[in-house]
Amino acid sequence: MANNDPNNPGPSRRGALAALSTPRMAATPNRQGIGGEPASGRPSASARRNNAAATPHARAAIRAMDQRRAALFTPGRARRRSLREQRETPRDLLRNLSRVLAPTSKLVSSSSSPDSSARDGDSTLPSFAEEDEGDDDDDFPIERPRFSLPLGPEEDDDDDLKPPRLSGFEEDNYTMQSIELPRARVIDNTIRSSLGSIRYSDYMGPDIRSDDAGIDSGFFPPATLDDSGEVIMEEPAIIERLDADEARRQTIGGDSVFGAIEIPDLGNESTFVMAPAQSPVRDPTITGGLAGLGSDNGPLYEVDDDDDDVNEPMDMPDFDIEDEPDNVAEDTAEDTAEDHISTIEETAQLRTAPLSRDRVIKRKKGKRISRHGIEYPSLPPNVVKRLATTFAKTAGSKGKISPDTLDAIMQATDWFFEQLGDDLSAYAQHAGRKTIDESDMITLMRRQRQTNASTTPFSLAQRHLPRELLQELRMPVPIPSKPPRKKSRHTVVEGEEQEEVT
Amino acid sequence: MAPGQKMYPRATVKKIVKAHSKCNVSKNVDVMIFLDYVLFMQTLVKEASIDSKQAGERNISAKSIRKVTPDALSKFKG
Repeated sequence: MANNDPNNPGPSRRGALAALSTPRMAATPNRQGIGGEPASGRPSASARRNNAAATPHARAAIRAMDQRRAALFTPGRARRRSLREQRETPRDLLRNLSRVLAPTSKLVSSSSSPDSSARDGDSTLPSFAEEDEGDDDDDFPIERPRFSLPLGPEEDDDDDLKPPRLSGFEEDNYTMQSIELPRARVIDNTIRSSLGSIRYSDYMGPDIRSDDAGIDSGFFPPATLDDSGEVIMEEPAIIERLDADEARRQTIGGDSVFGAIEIPDLGNESTFVMAPAQSPVRDPTITGGLAGLGSDNGPLYEVDDDDDDVNEPMDMPDFDIEDEPDNVAEDTAEDTAEDHISTIEETAQLRTAPLSRDRVIKRKKGKRISRHGIEYPSLPPNVVKRLATTFAKTAGSKGKISPDTLDAIMQATDWFFEQLGDDLSAYAQHAGRKTIDESDMITLMRRQRQTNASTTPFSLAQRHLPRELLQELRMPVPIPSKPPRKKSRHTVVEGEEQEEVT
Repeated sequence: MAPGQKMYPRATVKKIVKAHSKCNVSKNVDVMIFLDYVLFMQTLVKEASIDSKQAGERNISAKSIRKVTPDALSKFKG
């Protein structure tokens, strides 16, 4: 009974089939009583198409037509595959529907065979098994009763045609799955290599301080990277982690700069703002505590400020050093009281508006700390913006770059330089040098596929750099660029000499 | 890149790379590094503009850049 409704959106042929079965319904009074209601509703709509799909061959022909139509709408290349998928999906959906609705619909099937009615009454689960069996075994015992029923026979007919497709589909599914896996792997590579380091840079910026207790801690983060990378190798976890990381990036990526900067602000404001703002805020938070993904330094600091009066003076003088104890305190605070954190986060959100000004101002000053514990400035945003606008114009857009976009580009810039620094240092150390040399940069660009036989670094520089810089490039380039590997060794030796000199 | 304007702060680039690599940076490498960065920006902005156009936006959005950044970075992974 319930099956009729879900079946309607499906191919209308079924309705036609129902019409076919209806006359037999009249012949068998007992079965009518059960299946009579749906049958009466159907024939009006289905009768129209009965004429077209009188024979199974006609149905098959109609199906083929529909498939061709579907093929027309499928996008380009892998038409046939996509067709199969399309064929699969609606039917699978319908099947799932029928199975889900089976317990209710079973009554109809049971009506066909009065013997099985006892089974139906027992439980829903056996009913499922009955359906499956019924699909396979329809030929002998069940056929007659189902013919009498309107809906049953239609599905059975479809099933008769299906089996070849099903086998094909299943195989296709497996292949498709096997194909999808390598995609995930590719993503992994990107993550491990570039993004892995990048993430840490993001976290490290704010977090390093917590880790900084010893400068040696700089060595630990890569190990964690390796671990994460290995874990990522395994299938499903990858996606989740990516998403989580991305989310963090978006929050922290933009905010990471702020996160570091926020600390002083909070310290400053904590004296003034904290007392009025927090007390009202906490009450609502307890009810609806949205533990934000970005439970970052900012909110936590506030907790510290609130709970520990001692920390407040600490925050004022030195940002970097003081952060470490704060973070530790934050961790403890997190463990102890979740409510406080949620409240604090909300308070932090409330305060973001006033903080944002200070963030912008302090961001310029703000220096970040690399993995090695060395402070470094970020590239001035006006330089980045100028580059971006020129390239945006060449790319065809208007060349306007919003501050948000600039932030994202600056983030990408920081990541890029960190990645580049890692690569260059790896090359230099592999060559036994402690100085990054031209040859390192040339090998790097070659590995990046930026330079090849046809494009030399000099030609690239000619295209992209002004002349003053070109002249300085011109001097060293000819030496390492052309000579094959023998001379590269010489350059290595020269590099060592330079080290000694410097 | 106005004529009188400096293309980029050389010392800053040098400091950045030095901090990340914990290595000294020899004399004119920063020019190459900046060249590489220019190429990176080119690909990044190009991809982002394509992405934002597909999304139906006129200008390059921060979202599209964030979306494209991993690809561009992996492309410039040595």
